[in-house]
Amino acid sequence: MSHHNLQNTPLTYARITEDVVRMVDKPSAKWWALFIPTVMLVGLGAMCFFYQVSEGLGVAGYRHPVFWGVYITDFVFWVGIAHSGTLISAILYLFRARFRMSIYRIAEAMTVFAVLTAGLFPIIHLGRPWNFLWLIPYPNSRELWINFKSPLVWDVFAVSTYLTVSSVFFIVGMIPDIAAIRDKVKEVPRKIIYSILSFGWKGSNREWLHYTRAYLYFAALATPLVLSVHSVVSWDFAMGNVPGWHTTIFPPYFVAGAIFSGLAMVITLTIPIRKIFHLEDYITLDNYDGMAKLIILTSGIVGYAYAAEFFMAWYSGSPYEWGQFVYRATGEYAFFYWTMVTCNCVVPIAFWWEKVRKNIKALFVISILINIGMWFERFNIIVISLSRDFDPGAWGVYKISLVEAGITVGSFAWFFMFFLLFVKTLPAVSIAEMKEILPVPNRSKGG
Amino acid sequence: MSRKEASGKNGMKRRDFLKVLGVAGGTAAVAGSCSQPVEQIIPYVIPPENVIPGIPDFYATTCRECPSGCGLVVKNREGRAIKVEGNPKSPVNIGRTCAVGQASLQGLYNPDRVRSPLRYNDETQRLEPIGWELGEKIFAEKIDSLGSGRVVYLGGNLSGTYEKLVDRFLEPLGGRRYAYETFSYEPIRKANSIVFGRDEIPSYRIDEADYLLSFGADYLETWLSAVTNAVGYSKIRDVDHGKTGQIVHVEPRSSVTASNADTWIAAKPGTEQYLALGIANVMISRGLNRVSPGPLAKVVSNYGPEKVAAMTGVSADTVEKIARDFSGSKKSLAIGGGAASSGSNATETMVAVNILNYLAGNVGKTVDFSDPLSISYTAGFDDMKRLVEDMRSGRVDMLILDGVNPVFTLPGELDVADAMRQIPFTVSLSSFLDETSGCSHLVLPQSHFLESWGDYSPKKSVTGIVQPVMRPVFNTKSAGDILISVSKKTDALKNAFSEKKYYDYLRNAWKKEAEVLAPGQGFAKFWKNLLVEGSVVRKPAPVSVSLSPKVSSVSFRYPEFRGNGDFHLVAYPSYRFLDGRTANRPWLQELPEALTTSVWDSWLEIHPEAASRMGLEDGSYVKVDLPGGSFHVQVFVYEGIRPDTVAVALGQGHTSYGRYAKGRGVNPFAFLPAAADRLSGGFSLLSTKVNLSSTGKRDLLVRTQYTKTQGDRPVAQTVALDRIGHDGHAHHNGKHPDFYPEKKYSKYRWGMAIDLNKCTGCGACVTACAAENNIPFVGKKQMAKRREMNWIRIERFFEKNSDGSLDVRFLPMLCQQCGNAPCEPVCPVYATYHNHEGLNGMIYNRCVGTRYCANNCTYKVRRFNWYTYKLPEPLNWQLNPDVTVRTKGVMEKCTFCVQRINRGKDLAKDDGRLLRDGEVMTACEQACPSRAIVFGNLVDEKSRASVLSHDDRGYKVFEEINTKPAITYLKKVKRERV
Repeated sequence: MSHHNLQNTPLTYARITEDVVRMVDKPSAKWWALFIPTVMLVGLGAMCFFYQVSEGLGVAGYRHPVFWGVYITDFVFWVGIAHSGTLISAILYLFRARFRMSIYRIAEAMTVFAVLTAGLFPIIHLGRPWNFLWLIPYPNSRELWINFKSPLVWDVFAVSTYLTVSSVFFIVGMIPDIAAIRDKVKEVPRKIIYSILSFGWKGSNREWLHYTRAYLYFAALATPLVLSVHSVVSWDFAMGNVPGWHTTIFPPYFVAGAIFSGLAMVITLTIPIRKIFHLEDYITLDNYDGMAKLIILTSGIVGYAYAAEFFMAWYSGSPYEWGQFVYRATGEYAFFYWTMVTCNCVVPIAFWWEKVRKNIKALFVISILINIGMWFERFNIIVISLSRDFDPGAWGVYKISLVEAGITVGSFAWFFMFFLLFVKTLPAVSIAEMKEILPVPNRSKGG
Repeated sequence: MSRKEASGKNGMKRRDFLKVLGVAGGTAAVAGSCSQPVEQIIPYVIPPENVIPGIPDFYATTCRECPSGCGLVVKNREGRAIKVEGNPKSPVNIGRTCAVGQASLQGLYNPDRVRSPLRYNDETQRLEPIGWELGEKIFAEKIDSLGSGRVVYLGGNLSGTYEKLVDRFLEPLGGRRYAYETFSYEPIRKANSIVFGRDEIPSYRIDEADYLLSFGADYLETWLSAVTNAVGYSKIRDVDHGKTGQIVHVEPRSSVTASNADTWIAAKPGTEQYLALGIANVMISRGLNRVSPGPLAKVVSNYGPEKVAAMTGVSADTVEKIARDFSGSKKSLAIGGGAASSGSNATETMVAVNILNYLAGNVGKTVDFSDPLSISYTAGFDDMKRLVEDMRSGRVDMLILDGVNPVFTLPGELDVADAMRQIPFTVSLSSFLDETSGCSHLVLPQSHFLESWGDYSPKKSVTGIVQPVMRPVFNTKSAGDILISVSKKTDALKNAFSEKKYYDYLRNAWKKEAEVLAPGQGFAKFWKNLLVEGSVVRKPAPVSVSLSPKVSSVSFRYPEFRGNGDFHLVAYPSYRFLDGRTANRPWLQELPEALTTSVWDSWLEIHPEAASRMGLEDGSYVKVDLPGGSFHVQVFVYEGIRPDTVAVALGQGHTSYGRYAKGRGVNPFAFLPAAADRLSGGFSLLSTKVNLSSTGKRDLLVRTQYTKTQGDRPVAQTVALDRIGHDGHAHHNGKHPDFYPEKKYSKYRWGMAIDLNKCTGCGACVTACAAENNIPFVGKKQMAKRREMNWIRIERFFEKNSDGSLDVRFLPMLCQQCGNAPCEPVCPVYATYHNHEGLNGMIYNRCVGTRYCANNCTYKVRRFNWYTYKLPEPLNWQLNPDVTVRTKGVMEKCTFCVQRINRGKDLAKDDGRLLRDGEVMTACEQACPSRAIVFGNLVDEKSRASVLSHDDRGYKVFEEINTKPAITYLKKVKRERV
């Protein structure tokens, strides 16, 4: 492609704009080859869901006493994925961490799409999903109200707040970049769409002044959500009295786990994008190095939580707690448990070596393993705890059904479908912020 | 909203006197695929007289599911029978029922019932529907073409007016009548005739005994009258000031009955007689006998405890101990004669049991010959063998079948199906096409006992009235009406009956009775009273019984076994299916068997040692080789069985008999030899030694509980008899420190006390609950996924006594109606909430199905509707209109039968008072044969539930979770084992 002529030159303002505009160019055959199967898989998931609605939840793998399974696992997994997006875009922004500049837009998009995906599951898992509105407090003639004591209601607020704030943050952050694209594209319909999305951005000093302030405030507003949303999600479990759920360690443990899995997902997503769109100069090995170091930290916190859970179960002297944790490690689900420990605590040890942190292939493989490990973590917490709680007369083992697998696959496709649309229509790399970190032209020696 | 005129098809099916005019269509404008089909509600336009919608009628009648003849009260709402309960006025069951009795409604409304007369069509080789007129005409013509003495009437234990009618019907034809009961207890009769000169089965007064010694009598399952026995068992289990009765049970396997005994003794199969003789020997030699032994001293002299120990495998000390306790107790009782002791020496065993009763002075006290059971007069196995021979050799021209299924229940060796083919004409009066009626030429379906008039006398002192509790569901007639109507169409019997209807015949018969029982009262009053009371009770004249000299002639022989396998095979009657006659009731199929918790299937019990030797686990398939063939069955590894014995339940393995019975499990009858007890000729169920071979295949043995022990969790607790009231931690109700102030209840706090010392695990409560609360059955496939819907489950734990022996514990687990319920705060929409009477209410139509409540339930007693479970017509006629029928996506649970509480409160409000204790009974409490469940108001300190909640044995399950349950369990009492 002709655009590649700037490839080997060092980054300049012009090249950044050109590269990003090139990304939103007409989709290639390759893109379609990815997009069409993805949409088909979304269709598969939708079919599974409608089958489930018409038949009843019996088509899922639930069985007494395991009343929550893959759907809630998926919910927590996707909410968790969302978190590191906000971490990278908001918290690291406030900390002025330079390695975030190239990846934060992708991370932010990931947040929005992951919350969009996560938000489906509480509805999918309902016995009567057509009544999901009853979970929302709205004035009605029957004077029915919701139970604010229920963590599920907190969930509704937490997730909807998170979706609102992260979407606004995402859209606001893109305004100058969309304006840049608007100025470059020539086709009429695209020009109009980008014009609307850029809110008439002209790039005046006054606009920049307001824009940077607004962005800072949004970052500050989004920051506590990183901690609060997943804390609320963790209360779904911690507020219950099921052994394996009922523990105070859950909020920090969940937040750390969320960031851990989110970082892994950012790596998983950016590596192919970097390769396909030739963004090696933007998303550098140093960026990955920074993320890998954060993974080491969060992996350590997660590993500590695993150990602390065991210790507390033993130390409590409660046969129910101890029984639960022995069962996790030795029972029917031992494979899931040890997969989780291996992926989340053992595999990330590799990141202690810089060579690994800067090896794209290793990063890709490890990040996927962490994603798997974190999915199993949620599965283990939810399903194994429920399989064996207090009464041995009611213990049972859960088996995933095809419908659940179909909807889970569909949810991944749903997420990637949005992501594919995003990289083809919106600036996946922040033009403005990338330019900020470039040395100012002609100011350096001999420039 | 649409409103349309309808043809009223649904309504006409429902009630023929109901005229239907309008149908209101629903507004099912909810999102397309999510909505349920529109259900039409049909109002009474011209309401029938005496029927007030919403107000139930109750009719007394008598249960005819088994020969026990329990009194029933059937609840009828708007013309349909919806619930069966025990009649408190019946001396047989004193208001209680078993699971089978509860499920009789599913016999009534069974979709596989024969709906009209059928005739065998030679061309299509199928039974095809015909009208009654034609059906009766064919029957009548056949009768007139018969030679004398060539008609046979084969029915069950009829014992009442109908029996006389049949005899009058047969008399001009020179016909024979057989009262065939699969389990007819001939050894008991024979032994009584040998020892006491009485060929009868006496009433065994378990309720009056304080020491019960059972030699294989499964008295809590099927033996004679299980509900009567359970009521008696309950009395033995009363704990009063540290004193309670004692039960010792001898059987090769720990059956449900054995598991509820204080001591289970697994003597070598077939050697129970020696144990009994050894005990008798000790009694005489130690001078413990209350009655002079006479010739018995010589009979038992040869059986010293040491010798008996060698013969039976039971230690001499045990023999001595039992002898001392048995003779030392105020009122003892020895019983026997169940399947497990029905070897070739069954009568000898019963003779030995009789000797024990005689020596202990029980005859005339706990063994009551003045009130013999009617099952004493049924046909013997010998008679049946001869009949089958007659059939095969063409000496029977006509066979009339009435509610029996000999093709299924007689041993395969007799090949009854083949013998039946030699009969030119077989007419069946059965309600179902079972293995036997399926082979008949004509089926004239009789009405269910809940649709018919009749009477039945289970024992000399009691005759129960059978009255219809609703109009027939299908185009059927009562058996009496069929015979009378047919007789009028014949030449031979034209004048046999002056009455036109069986109802008149019955009343005429009772007119004579009324003159004896209530002289001068007038028949109308007597009859009305009879229908209200449900039965008449006579006081039988005392009978003096003495020892017969014949007893000296008995030689006690070892049992003989057919086959030369490694294992004794115990084929035992199922307390759910009896001999197989109730296998087509889905409630019973889905009632978890107490020990295995297995549903919808058969299994083979095998000791862990034998299982591990053969590499078998729960669910492994084995091939069982008998001399009469072989069958495949899954195993259940059970430490409560001798290592040299395997056991399989009877009742499953139907090859027809409707969708719920057909093709499930195995029918051991089909493989058993026609072996008989030597002295009585009774059918021998412990007759065979079998070989097992592993097939290498394994599959899930579908159960409701896969754990066998409770491990370190104190769910089902016990207390030693001498420690009652001494355990420090007995009570601290609500003493936990709490952040919130304690809830106060002003008028009512509903609660329950469940005595684990009385619960036998029989499951009557489970079935009663399903019937009362419209709980669907889900079938084997869903059960395999643990989607059972029953609100009560009987938890079963195999624990160990201090001496290492098996300790089986049962615990009915249902919603505890927690004062601090974990389910309530987590519901986001208030679908479950705490009401002001302490109940955890459940609002089905508010539930969105997050299932958080079920996850958070400490007791896991909530059930979720994974699907919308549809009942096939007319099973849905049984649904209780007071209880919502749930659809998919909704959580449900026990609410202590809140509809009953509310109805009770409404009635009490009319009187301006509060509910009295015992006025409202939950369905489970009402059914419980052993009175383990007591429901009541905990605010009222004098209510029985309140008093029991403060019993020294009281505890709450998982009390430390601070759920504040409203159910107090009373610990099972452990006494020192023999």
